Amino acid sequence: MKTKNKIGKVLIFIGTIFLFNTEIKSQANFDSLKIKLPKHYFNTVINLDSYRKAKQDFTDTTDFLAKRLKSYGIKQFSASFYTPLFTDITEGKGKGITKSTHVLLTGNFLLLQPKFSGISQHTLLKTGIGIRCIFNSGKKGVWFVDASPFITKDITYVSKGYFRAASTIVYSHNPNEKFNWRIGITKSFMWGNKNYWPFLGIRIGKLDKVNLSIQFPRSINFNIPVGPKLTMSLYTKPQGGMYNFSNRDSLYYISNDATFSYTRYELNTGFRADVRVSNRFNFYVATGFCSKNNVTFYSETANKSRPRLPYKKYFFSENLGPTLFFNAGLVFKFGKSRSFYNEKNMYDVMDLNNTIGVGDNNQSAGNPQIPITPKVKKNLNLSSIQDLIDYNEF
Amino acid sequence: MKRFFKIVVFVCMFLYSGHSFAQGSRDKVAELRVSFISKKLEMTNSESEKFWPVYNEYNDKIKAIKRNLRQSYKKGVDNLSDGEAEELYQLDIKSKKAEAEIHEQYAEKIKAIIGAKKTVKLRVAEEEFKIEIIKNIKDKSD
Repeated sequence: MKTKNKIGKVLIFIGTIFLFNTEIKSQANFDSLKIKLPKHYFNTVINLDSYRKAKQDFTDTTDFLAKRLKSYGIKQFSASFYTPLFTDITEGKGKGITKSTHVLLTGNFLLLQPKFSGISQHTLLKTGIGIRCIFNSGKKGVWFVDASPFITKDITYVSKGYFRAASTIVYSHNPNEKFNWRIGITKSFMWGNKNYWPFLGIRIGKLDKVNLSIQFPRSINFNIPVGPKLTMSLYTKPQGGMYNFSNRDSLYYISNDATFSYTRYELNTGFRADVRVSNRFNFYVATGFCSKNNVTFYSETANKSRPRLPYKKYFFSENLGPTLFFNAGLVFKFGKSRSFYNEKNMYDVMDLNNTIGVGDNNQSAGNPQIPITPKVKKNLNLSSIQDLIDYNEF
Repeated sequence: MKRFFKIVVFVCMFLYSGHSFAQGSRDKVAELRVSFISKKLEMTNSESEKFWPVYNEYNDKIKAIKRNLRQSYKKGVDNLSDGEAEELYQLDIKSKKAEAEIHEQYAEKIKAIIGAKKTVKLRVAEEEFKIEIIKNIKDKSD
């Protein structure tokens, strides 16, 4: 009996070694080539964005601040980026399911010039570094968590900056590649105040084909890929924020506050074209109408009792009529990334990352990483397809 | 601000002109192949969920092996010393062996996901796609 047990143990031991060795052997030649494969699914992406809203006169003749400010327009420039910090891929043993976790570093730098013709020109800065984590369950679900702390400051005059933080948690479910729903919660300033919104989203249609995407409170998009190089979109989305504004012009006269909070939001409805020039560079242009043009000034002192809640006590608030806006941006992609063709969850991971743009500016770089299947086979040359064909096949 | 934009446009044009067009075409062909294969295989949703991550990983590895070899040959073969030629020869052999290893390893994984019948179909689809490409090139050159 003892001998049998011993033999059994030895066999298990040898078997383990054999299995272990086979595993090593099965990769031996590949490992010896010392080829570095891309670690991440995400490229490093830099987005430069310029946004203008036409000037309009304040028509309210009863409010003396409106009379003093005279007119209002927006000029905005932002630079943002995201870069992968960490990617973990787990293969479910025997189930063939690949789970993945992605941690990205995000950053944004925004310069905003509200154009009030009745007072001196102010340049407002909003900048921050954030982190986002996306978990792809490998089945139907994707989790998204984002934290975007930022500082706003009036850089035209000496003023103290304000520290704020936006954040989002979303669960995204993909029953199939043509349909997706999302649920979550988001803390954002894009509607011109500190708001906690439920995040509710639905998408009908494949991400690389014609699709309608409604993502409350961020955007409604109807996307039409015209070809592998061009995507047209009809969209509506809010654009805005809460910024620190120097009281140099004594707009707030009730107390001697050095700064106050200038908030704005506008609802942009228009048309956007995303052009994929190359694998490394895209650009987009968008134009349309701004409606619900709101500008509000809140005193920080008067709202001191509401540090975590939306501000209520304002000393100036006006809604202007519809006007035109123009938006254009450049998108640069760097580095190599892993392939994820036809992986609907990874497409959703990319889409989540772009729908919930970097920072809290509600700007999207488009979906530069989701491949759009080309329809026509053209411009194929031999050197371009060496990976696919061996010479002896001719 | 205007100067900044000029710099940005310049950088962007530089990147664009410096970009490898061959890489762009290669990606386009890879996208076409994926589309071709997915049409031919007719997988269920559940199979598709499991299959594509494995197949993409397999392709990334094969592509990396071929790219590595191609870059080694890029230096030219006319002025190679005996030592360099031997090194290149060994790399060629190793690369072929590595390809075979990866192929075997992933064929097993793919078979476990989509079954033997569809795995055979996959190989046929890959071959058919190659023939399509060759036809396309021949048509252009005629």
